[in-house]
Amino acid sequence: MGESDKNEIYLSSSPHYASPISTRHVMFAVVAVLLPLALYGVWLFGLPALVTILASVVSCVAFEALFRKLTKQDIRVGDFSAVITGLLLALILPPATPVWMTVLGAFFAIVVAKEFFGGLGANVFNPALTGRAFLLVSFATPLTTWSAPFVADAISTATPLSVIKPVDGVVLSAGQIAQRTGFFSEGDLYLNLFLGQRAGCIGESGIFLILIAAVVLIAAKVIDWRAPVAMVATAVAVTWIAGIDPLLTVLTGGLLFGAVFMATDYATSPVTPLGRLVFGFGCGLITALIRVFGGYPEGVMFSILIMNALTPFLNRIIPKKYGWVKPAKKEKAVK
Amino acid sequence: MSIKSFKGGIHPPERKDATRNLPVEARFPSTKLVWIPVTQGGAPNKPLVSVGDSVARGQKIAESDAFMSAPVHASVAGTVKKIETHLVTGNVDVPCIVIEADGSDRTAFLSPLDPFTATREESLARVREAGLVGMGGASFPTHVKLNPPKGAKIDYLLANGAECEPYLTIDARIMEEDAAKVVDGVAIAMHITGAAEGIIVLEENKADLVPVLEAAAAKLRENPVGPGACKISVALCKTKYPQGGEKMLIKAVTGREVPSGGLPSAAGCVVQNVGTLKALSEAFREGKPLIERGLTISGGACATPKNILVPIGTLVGDLIPEVVTLNPGVAKIISGGPMMGFAMKSASFPVQKNTSGVLFLTAKETALVDEDPCIGCGRCISVCSCRLAPVLIARAVKAGNLEEAKRCGLMDCVECGTCAYVCPARVKLVQHFRIGKLMVRTEMAKQAAKKAAAGTDTKGAK
Repeated sequence: MGESDKNEIYLSSSPHYASPISTRHVMFAVVAVLLPLALYGVWLFGLPALVTILASVVSCVAFEALFRKLTKQDIRVGDFSAVITGLLLALILPPATPVWMTVLGAFFAIVVAKEFFGGLGANVFNPALTGRAFLLVSFATPLTTWSAPFVADAISTATPLSVIKPVDGVVLSAGQIAQRTGFFSEGDLYLNLFLGQRAGCIGESGIFLILIAAVVLIAAKVIDWRAPVAMVATAVAVTWIAGIDPLLTVLTGGLLFGAVFMATDYATSPVTPLGRLVFGFGCGLITALIRVFGGYPEGVMFSILIMNALTPFLNRIIPKKYGWVKPAKKEKAVK
Repeated sequence: MSIKSFKGGIHPPERKDATRNLPVEARFPSTKLVWIPVTQGGAPNKPLVSVGDSVARGQKIAESDAFMSAPVHASVAGTVKKIETHLVTGNVDVPCIVIEADGSDRTAFLSPLDPFTATREESLARVREAGLVGMGGASFPTHVKLNPPKGAKIDYLLANGAECEPYLTIDARIMEEDAAKVVDGVAIAMHITGAAEGIIVLEENKADLVPVLEAAAAKLRENPVGPGACKISVALCKTKYPQGGEKMLIKAVTGREVPSGGLPSAAGCVVQNVGTLKALSEAFREGKPLIERGLTISGGACATPKNILVPIGTLVGDLIPEVVTLNPGVAKIISGGPMMGFAMKSASFPVQKNTSGVLFLTAKETALVDEDPCIGCGRCISVCSCRLAPVLIARAVKAGNLEEAKRCGLMDCVECGTCAYVCPARVKLVQHFRIGKLMVRTEMAKQAAKKAAAGTDTKGAK
């Protein structure tokens, strides 16, 4: 009998059937919707953006492979998880971030935030956000130096978000903000923000692309609608109370990007439906509080990182089980 | 007709086309041997026959005094050759009575009994004597199920014809070919349990059977054999797995939920598989014990998928290649369906009262993949048929935190496998739950033993 005649019978616990959707497919779907955002960022901000994206993705993948090789674990580059972290990190960095800084951020994201905690699925804090937080507190100036779209040199430009921020309790109207940031009118401001024609991080500006990505990911059941919707709704509601134009809350900064791509991160956000709603609510609330009262113009990054720490507790909010009986009834039975 | 459903569930490829339209063929292998497991559902039986005894078809050959037990009968007429252990579903060796068929048709059936004139006690005794157990897979003794605890009022008798497992078509064939017997079985079960309403529940993919069953029910109404026969209807449920699970079926049809740890009777329901109901009708009308059953043989590595009727105890391996021929590349042999069936180490195992199908799957069809790390996507929670949190149960079990596992629903899990099916990381969730349940039971037994030991200690001190 040849080798081909050998018939191996496999034994295993049921089920013996599996959906064709694997981790790889899920991750690939996220890469697929992030790519247009990355390309749009390159179109807006030119070569520096491309360099940042490539540096981030390549170093994330390399750091993951290297770390796992050094620690004698199987190399999991094929699951695209490091590619996503690399893309996410680049998209939330200013276009002209120095390459060495991007690489350092990638190291922090992959090695410190992800692999030190046990790798894929085991990390507590969102790797990309942790990497960015590390860079922001270490190198505040380059991380807040924005380039205007279609301008070759990076010069410190005011972002609409920094203008929106109430100073000494004075809140500017959308019209005033349009004037200060060099737009003709309110409508012009809204439209340009929607199309991402503003200074900001590489991937956060293309609001219309983020919205398309959200619809695609939710429809394909890759992400759950609860956390992003709760986050945006809460942030809008709270900033609106503070007198800030609700549309501007959504269109500026990284609120939408964070809600769609960061608050839905599998490993670091709750798995239960109600847990996700509360998680989104918390993210929105903290974002709004930082935007209105905090020392930084943007609060999305810190809000999600803070809520990441609460995820294990939010996971305690489980759905009502089938046939669940009130424990009070049990006491009666005991009597 | 409104389509009923429950929350959660999945829709795996059905792959029922291979056998759905093939009539059930009665077959018996030329080896002429049957290996009848002494116990098939309920408490352990003891053999009533010895090697060398001549037995008739339908003769009782093993039983137990325990209430929660069902006797076993000779499925062929012949001679008892040996009583020894043999591999059965579950990959364990259990005592079997081996009978060589002599080709005669000597039968020893019970006498027919009119279910509508017999007393409840007589009827329940008949159900037990005929060795009826749930044929859908659980092999729970039917007389126990038809005898709900005192005080429980049964509103609905649900005939489970959902057959939500992929590949399997035997229940559909039974309903198509023996609709009258199924409906008669429903009427009998309603009479015994006092159920006011009987509902035959099908998945939408079997909607073509609705007129067949309704015609059979209408015929029964023309000649009412007993009270209650008039309230038999057919209900359609959405085609999704695990619609045929007892708890899901009750939820979908009545909107009620079986309380955690309780019986369906607590929700006013008794659920019986359609095959069992057909056997119930035969046990009364013909006095025929449960000695044969239909099953689906299918799968990608099976060259001749079919629905067959064989005596209980027929070795599946003996059917190859006379009745069933295989393609090369069998990777898994499954007793049951692909979602809840048992992977067997060899095809040499007997068809039992609860064997609804045998599948020969290729490596491509079955999930031969290693576990990846859980990414925490929560898909398992959104599909769980019991609204549990599978990922959290698995994490708690792995951490040895049984209290947390129980809080998240470990003991409420029906092991339907829906969570493991959708898991993109291929985490073997059901396997983790089985280990967890075992840990809980071991812990409970330990505590019980401790209590008992403490009790004797104090006695000894006195």
